[in-house]
Amino acid sequence: MMHMKKILFIGLSLLSKAVVAQNRFPKPDFESGYTYPNVHYAVPDESLWVMLDIILLILLMSIVAWAVIKKRTRKPVIWVSIISVAYFGFYRSGCVCSIGSIQNVSLALVDNTYVLPISVLLFFILPIIFAFFFGRVFCAGVCPFGALQELINVKNYRLSRALTTVLGMIPWIYLIFAVLYAVTRSSFIICRFDPFIGIFRLGGDIGLIIFGALLLIASVFVGRPFCRFICPYGALLSFFSRVSIWKVEITSKPCINCDLCHNACPVDAIKPPYNNKVKESRQQGVKRILIYFIILPLMVVAGMLLLRSISAELSRANKDVRLYDMVMLHEAEPQDILSLELEAFYGQGGSIEELTQKYETIQAEYKLYSTIAGAFIGLVVGFALIGLSLKRTRKQYEIDNAACVACGRCFSYCPQNRIEVESGNISS
Amino acid sequence: MKRAILRNIAIVTVIFIATLSIMLITNYFQVSETTPLQAEVVETLKQLNDANSNNPVLQEQIRQLDLMARKAYFIRYDHLMAGVYILIGMLVIFIVCVRLYYADSKNIPDKELDPIDEWAIKSQARKYVIWGTVGLTIIALLFVVLSSPYLQIQSSTEETNQEVVVNNVDSSQNDVMEVIAEETTLAESIIESQSDSISETISDTTVSDSITTVEPAATETVSEPVVSKVTHNAFRGNNSNGISAARSVPVKWNLSSGNNIAWKQDIPRKGYNSPIINGNKVFFSGADNEARELYCYDLTTGERLWTLAATNISGSPAQMPKTTEDTGLAASSVATNGNQVCAIFATGDIICADMNGNRLWAKNLGVPDNHYGYASSLLMYGSTVFVQYDNQNSPKVVALDAATGNERWSKTRSERVTWSSPMIAVINNIPQLVLMGNPAITGYNANTGDQLWRMECLTGEVGSSACSSNGVIFGASEYSKLVAINGIDGSLLWESTEFLPEVSSPVATANTLYIATSYGVLAAFDTKSGELKKEHDLGVEFYSSPVIAEGKIYLFSNDGKMHIFSANDTFNLIDSFETGERTFATPAFTDGKIVVRTEKSIYCVATK
Repeated sequence: MMHMKKILFIGLSLLSKAVVAQNRFPKPDFESGYTYPNVHYAVPDESLWVMLDIILLILLMSIVAWAVIKKRTRKPVIWVSIISVAYFGFYRSGCVCSIGSIQNVSLALVDNTYVLPISVLLFFILPIIFAFFFGRVFCAGVCPFGALQELINVKNYRLSRALTTVLGMIPWIYLIFAVLYAVTRSSFIICRFDPFIGIFRLGGDIGLIIFGALLLIASVFVGRPFCRFICPYGALLSFFSRVSIWKVEITSKPCINCDLCHNACPVDAIKPPYNNKVKESRQQGVKRILIYFIILPLMVVAGMLLLRSISAELSRANKDVRLYDMVMLHEAEPQDILSLELEAFYGQGGSIEELTQKYETIQAEYKLYSTIAGAFIGLVVGFALIGLSLKRTRKQYEIDNAACVACGRCFSYCPQNRIEVESGNISS
Repeated sequence: MKRAILRNIAIVTVIFIATLSIMLITNYFQVSETTPLQAEVVETLKQLNDANSNNPVLQEQIRQLDLMARKAYFIRYDHLMAGVYILIGMLVIFIVCVRLYYADSKNIPDKELDPIDEWAIKSQARKYVIWGTVGLTIIALLFVVLSSPYLQIQSSTEETNQEVVVNNVDSSQNDVMEVIAEETTLAESIIESQSDSISETISDTTVSDSITTVEPAATETVSEPVVSKVTHNAFRGNNSNGISAARSVPVKWNLSSGNNIAWKQDIPRKGYNSPIINGNKVFFSGADNEARELYCYDLTTGERLWTLAATNISGSPAQMPKTTEDTGLAASSVATNGNQVCAIFATGDIICADMNGNRLWAKNLGVPDNHYGYASSLLMYGSTVFVQYDNQNSPKVVALDAATGNERWSKTRSERVTWSSPMIAVINNIPQLVLMGNPAITGYNANTGDQLWRMECLTGEVGSSACSSNGVIFGASEYSKLVAINGIDGSLLWESTEFLPEVSSPVATANTLYIATSYGVLAAFDTKSGELKKEHDLGVEFYSSPVIAEGKIYLFSNDGKMHIFSANDTFNLIDSFETGERTFATPAFTDGKIVVRTEKSIYCVATK
């Protein structure tokens, strides 16, 4: 939550700076009878492109699924990544993207006046369907963000797993806040604070571009930091990937526990064998899990109360709430020089009564949705603690399907696969 | 050998990338902070040009500098983009080199960073989760405490106490008024913000789309029609400047055939005041010896929503003051700010109601000694209502709190009787209340009432009001002169004596000032030089004031003919047609609609 606020604050301040810094020139003065031509904005025919987007999305995900599930080879994934970065990233400017579509879908669910474009719905639902069948094949290389990080990754330096476990909760919390701000029609924060969009568009908010560049520099040495510690859609996909019908397997042959795949995985999704020699007694472990199950409802309630109590602060992300605050401040202490928002409000004869009504409605909405968001945050923390209290024995290296992004790196590291390749059973 | 080459290329590119990145970021900030059109030299030359507008060499010089500044800016921008492309190219080279360099040394088993025991990792992670959650909860709780209403109330009480101590001498100083941008500035900012939203990301647009689609739904719940946000809050529109931001304004109508007439109602009581529009409501007033009333009509249906009579006002005269037939008791237009609506009558009675017709306050300002009858219109700005009260016995200008009627400030004026109305010009972000008078045009700080400038230039009976454009105030009166005043310091920019208005008020775009005379001429002057550009002699009589909407000038002649001109350098008469009834008032504009008050009726024009 703190992280979110910080991002929000930095983002907003950078954004406002960028807005201020925008140069708009007045038209040159022509005093020689020149009349300005009427400006016509031709709406480009987007439907063709949108159709191509969807076809390509399905095609690329199918290729990745075929490559990682059936063929156990990485090369197609690399080509898919290059195509995705070039087309979805640079050519289509990173929009529509599945990550941002979460917000559109959430808004459409609570607001029946909001028309959800079919392309956005498909971008949201198709990767989920694929995840349900084949795991996170979308993350592998179809998502331009993931693909870009994948392509530039050179070396994987490990991070402490205790730390990555905690950082791995951020995407869930980000997801909850993204939905909260979308359903309250306040802001599409995923789009607003998208670190890669400025890079794909070769321009934009300088702060976000620098943030994106730093993330990319990090991803040269650490596997996919955005996918693992920020991406809210990745969190959603991990949920479905966990129960996917066909799962990515490192090799079809028995694991020889050589540890090579474990080191190859950029997202630390391969768990080493573990014989569960826990020092504490079984009774103690059971007791801990029981306690967590008991305090889970309490955490949910605490989350609800906490977020409900800061709902007024959270609601400041809404432009009408900010305007209301500005108007109230101005009414209490009139200023000589007005901000543009106040000028527009008073200039258009804005009614304080109407604004107050709007403000109260938004506040009520925020109260409700913040409470729900708080409950979810409680659940996220609770389930994380329960998950960390479970003991599982593994006899060999196993893929954590929720974390696996189906990049296919591990295949070539596995000596068992190499035997197959060398014996010509698999053509890679 | 091959690896060494790759390594060296990678090192060279990374140095290049780092240097180029620093240069690009510096360049970006330089470009973004530059406002090339506001270069000191250009500004100085522009000021010189303002002082002496007849120097074509200087003007050419300004143009050349302006062009150079634009070119320089865009060349710099192109360089920035070229740098970005080079950077991307170098990044690709760097990544390829590094990947190839490491191609042979894959991720071999490394020293374990974590303890080998997974349970120890989990225990550590649990601790992190718990401490992280506790930390965030504490921060959130601190947030709750710090933003609690109790603390806010306490701090605001403390502030108020301090203010009382400091400002107890003049509490009215605290009641500074709200500021509205000039209609033109506002229209520009609206257009800018619209173009902004176009350039924003698709998702952002979808949010704003959804918001705009939600709003009508919300209004539907109170079963009110969708209304335009473009208001016409006073005589000659917002700020009383003669410019409307209305779109899709009708261009043809006729009362007798009913063509494009949405509704028409008879006027309950006589009055020469002009109608105003806010939301779905139309306001105007009427008065005779029996009653003085403020009316509110439904803009969509034309149904009268409420009437508020100016009765039971202490100080109100029992006998109506004498007025001439062509002025009457309700010559002053009413004004609103969307929360309150106020009306004033020739008796000196001022009443104020909320938007539902509930009387908020009423008072008598003293019966004005005026040989034709009091005629100055009201003007509202934020929560303040301004009254120009230039009469024989005690000429003054008063600013009242629109919600309570309490006086915010009042200034005695040394002018004779005036019939013109106040207008607001926002100059250097300060709202100026500009009043015409005999003998001076005066600019006041609308917030404080302080006189900012005063120029003695008028004589005789002043009925026309001022207008402003780009910080310049234009005022004119028949048998006197037309002046252009620099709104910053009140200095005279130019003056002219050709084509002066008697009742009708001027209106100005950035380049052209339009003046309608009572003998039927609509003349166009260059706003910079005062040079007469063109005139149309229509052989009619103009009392109504021109209003510019959608790049067209709408002007009624007294015989009820509507004349529409193009408000550009060509200044052509686009159309001229009979509407059916004699019209003296200035029409009110909103999106797709015009409300006109004639001698006998009030009607709404809407394209069907």
